Amino acid sequence: MARLADLVVSAVLLAGLYATMAYGLGLIYGVLRVVNLAHGGVIMAGAYVGWVLFDRFGVDPYLAIPVVLVLGFALGVAMYRVLIRRLPRGASGGPASLLLLFGVWLVLRNIAYLLFTGNDRSIRTAYSSSSLAIAGTHVPVTRLIVLAIGLVIAVGLHLLLHRTLVGRAIRAAAQNADSCTLVGIDVERIYRLTFGIGTALAGVAGVLLATVFSFNPASGSSELLKSFVVVVLGGLGSMSGVVLAALVVAAAEVFAVLILPSYLTSAVGFLLLVLVLVLRPGGLFGHRVLA
Amino acid sequence: MHVAPPVNAMSYRSSRSCHLLLALVALGAVACKPKSKPGGERTEILIGGTLPLTGSEARIGGFYKEGYDLALDEINQAGGVEVGGKKLPIKLTVLDDTTNQDTAASLADKLINSDKVDFLLGTYSTALVQRQSTVAEQNKVPYLSGGGAATAIYQRGYKWIFGALAPVELLGTTLMTWIDEQQKAGKLPKPAKIAVLWENTSHGKDFRKGISDFVAKSGGGYEITVDESFELNGKDYSALLGKVKAAGTDIFLADAHLPDYITMHRQYVDAGLCHKVVSYGARGSEKAAIEALGKDNTEYVLSGTWWSPLLANTNPLAKKFVEAFKARYSGRTPEWFQALGYESVRALVEAIHQAGSLDREAVRAKLAGLKMESLVPGGTLDFPQDKGYQVQAPFVVQQNTPDGAPIIYPQSIATAAGIAPNPRCK
Amino acid sequence: MTVPPLIPRGMARVFLAVCVVLAVLPALDLSLYTHNLLTRAYILIAAALAWNWMGGFVGQISFGHAAMFGVGGFVAARGMLDLHLPPQLCWLGGAVAAGVFALGAHPLLRLRGPYFSIATIGVGEASRVVFTYWEKFTGGATGLSLPIDADFQYQLYWWTLGVAAVVAAASVVIRRSSFGLRLLAIKADVEAAADVGISATLYQDLIFMLSGAVVGLCGGLSASYASFIEPSDTFGFERSIAFVLMAVIGGTGTALGPALGAAVFVLVDTSLLASYPELHLGLYGVLLINIMLFEPLGLLGLGQRVLRLARGPKPAPRRA
Repeated sequence: MARLADLVVSAVLLAGLYATMAYGLGLIYGVLRVVNLAHGGVIMAGAYVGWVLFDRFGVDPYLAIPVVLVLGFALGVAMYRVLIRRLPRGASGGPASLLLLFGVWLVLRNIAYLLFTGNDRSIRTAYSSSSLAIAGTHVPVTRLIVLAIGLVIAVGLHLLLHRTLVGRAIRAAAQNADSCTLVGIDVERIYRLTFGIGTALAGVAGVLLATVFSFNPASGSSELLKSFVVVVLGGLGSMSGVVLAALVVAAAEVFAVLILPSYLTSAVGFLLLVLVLVLRPGGLFGHRVLA
Repeated sequence: MHVAPPVNAMSYRSSRSCHLLLALVALGAVACKPKSKPGGERTEILIGGTLPLTGSEARIGGFYKEGYDLALDEINQAGGVEVGGKKLPIKLTVLDDTTNQDTAASLADKLINSDKVDFLLGTYSTALVQRQSTVAEQNKVPYLSGGGAATAIYQRGYKWIFGALAPVELLGTTLMTWIDEQQKAGKLPKPAKIAVLWENTSHGKDFRKGISDFVAKSGGGYEITVDESFELNGKDYSALLGKVKAAGTDIFLADAHLPDYITMHRQYVDAGLCHKVVSYGARGSEKAAIEALGKDNTEYVLSGTWWSPLLANTNPLAKKFVEAFKARYSGRTPEWFQALGYESVRALVEAIHQAGSLDREAVRAKLAGLKMESLVPGGTLDFPQDKGYQVQAPFVVQQNTPDGAPIIYPQSIATAAGIAPNPRCK
Repeated sequence: MTVPPLIPRGMARVFLAVCVVLAVLPALDLSLYTHNLLTRAYILIAAALAWNWMGGFVGQISFGHAAMFGVGGFVAARGMLDLHLPPQLCWLGGAVAAGVFALGAHPLLRLRGPYFSIATIGVGEASRVVFTYWEKFTGGATGLSLPIDADFQYQLYWWTLGVAAVVAAASVVIRRSSFGLRLLAIKADVEAAADVGISATLYQDLIFMLSGAVVGLCGGLSASYASFIEPSDTFGFERSIAFVLMAVIGGTGTALGPALGAAVFVLVDTSLLASYPELHLGLYGVLLINIMLFEPLGLLGLGQRVLRLARGPKPAPRRA
């Protein structure tokens, strides 16, 4: 029984992290129809920004989030202006944008190697190893905070998309870019904005990750894949679906340990990805907020 | 988007691409012109090697390099090594294999067949050494590895590969021997339940074998209740640790490389785990780990290592090494990585000295028969043939305590008594 | 209208000449290092060309070809170790096994564009984990060590050269055959292709199987080349990425561009990487970005553009 509670708690905590990782990827795909293959690289970069602020300037990683948001947004806008804008959209632009963004990822990794070497880093605060006893299990404080921030972001994003003018424009652009132009919405600006927000969210995910796991410049590929599973499972572009999907993925991974040798559990996420893509390319939770 | 051009255009383009290809081949042929061999008199001894100076093992690759450099300085300042009646200096070329197997092998090939080095020093970490050493064997070049400890490297019947690190299997056995003493003294329950977590590499498999063989022979004193492997360079061990927690074991024995030790132990502490004996194999006393995990979280962790600076108390060569290292590297205390890097160079040079020539066959023979005084535990270094030319020096067991990491086993060189059960567990 | 030959005569002559030059190259007192390097380059050239059949001709970017490389390699290694079959037979066995394994990816082929690419990452990574765990077959992390035979190692040069030459010829033939045109049609528009009776499923299955088999063959060659094969590295993501990089740098979709890409890759990997190991990722990244923005046909396209410029304003065929 205690074991079950243990597993449920770790699934929920993990889901918070997965959802945070996936928002940015989902938003960008939902609006621009571009799979941001640099997503993993941005997560890694966000982790390093958090680490530098903490290690050099003593800024608490959770307080560093606004800084990372701003930097991530700037990076996203710059990437959009310099690169994404020039790519062909739609089916034929698929491979091009995929490979281009993959190139961006490689560059980000290289910059991280040059600046920080290949050593593993992690952010260790005074409260890093403290934990609360909930339902008879130990819940690390950092993971709780990550979950809470993940939920805050979900709510914030929902409000942004549904209660603000910009949000409505973003949703409109996701549905039909051409008619947006007709009613006077600057679609380019909306795209730029969306790419900026998506990148900023990935950066925040990086900071959160850095407070829980260790990371190095090569980190990011499993984060990218997991984000993708979550986004696809949740229906590409659906934000509430993302939260539910994150829970499903996390639970599958955590509970797999009951039947599989733990070494093989790392394959569960990948297999899930393939299964979801093949069986339900439209996602498990049908309704789409954006598209 | 590129659609098929009309046929005539395509044949035009295809023959163009062929010319391009031809030009490239010509370019390659020119660029690859064999270098002229160093003619006649030799003016230096060429030793080559690669280390992971970037990539996931970069930190440790750098440590080995420090050991190499120190040994080299000492030897060259003394005028070099006498070969054929003349003292020659040593030139060491160390390339960066980026912690990548293909690169490690390809660079070894380059060192042997293009740079024409006489001998090779091995890289660090089992997987890389395993791949790279086949190149040395193929080319019949003496290869001294100070960074590959798994028996799988040496049990392939190879002739040219020598290992300066004692097998990880012995590490498992040594830890268990100490644990057994504690159990006999009534400090640990009998039978004691053990969780064995091993990284899925040859390194980890050796560790597991050492422990499970000991347990099998113990006559019911121990029971392995968790026996799981994990992936090298993993991130999330919470599922694995959940299993350990559910099994309610007394003893926690893991084998991990430094980055994984840091990640795993952090999650271990987060999960509120505590065992009467905790060990991560060779990890525990590293400064980098203590900084990353916090000193109190690493207390009472047991580690079996190939060398410890505390050996300076009993071993004169170790003392000399520690002093020289501190003098060269602004007072830093060396860890076992630097010591084994240093000792690998010394062993190779000693064999060259004994052979009195740069003939690879002669040096190989001297390495095979080498028995030299050494800074390793036990005080002598040799490469027994029946163990595939792998050193069988004993391990030292250290335990992190509030006042440093004393050697607690073997008895003859212990600087403090080991503590069991772990006082941190309530 | 006469049917054009699958390989134009001028091209065939140049091709043969290149092969002959390369085949007699070792007679010119090459250093053993260069000899081995070329052997490795031929393996990579064959693999990159085969990757391009799927990634370039059909436009389905696979990030998981390492899985086929690994399956082929391990089946070949097992054949040599356990059944003591001649290596050539083992390589073929590996190729067949890899082809069959690729056929197993049939359900994935319904996916297009980024969906397909991401699914291949999933398959690649899952096979890495599973094969590393599957100790009985792959030897687990210890891998399999093959007997060392220096003479055979030396002869591998001609075997790999032969494979690379055949694969290169096959690339040109496929690209210019009606089969190749159908692949291009699928790439341009699946639905339109279906309308004129081109079954995307059938053709993709076929080309993916062929591509997988050749990459599997390369896996076997590479196991023989290294006398060692170990799953976590053989199935690694880095390897899949290398195939993509080689093909894209050389020129995806062109018949022979990937060969050029593979040659450049080996050159960069061994000369540049040895002196500036900390820069190679970034270098590839910058190359990728620039290729995607300015010259989607890669170095081959760039070379052609330069040649055209050098020839002046003669009526040169425009890139479509």
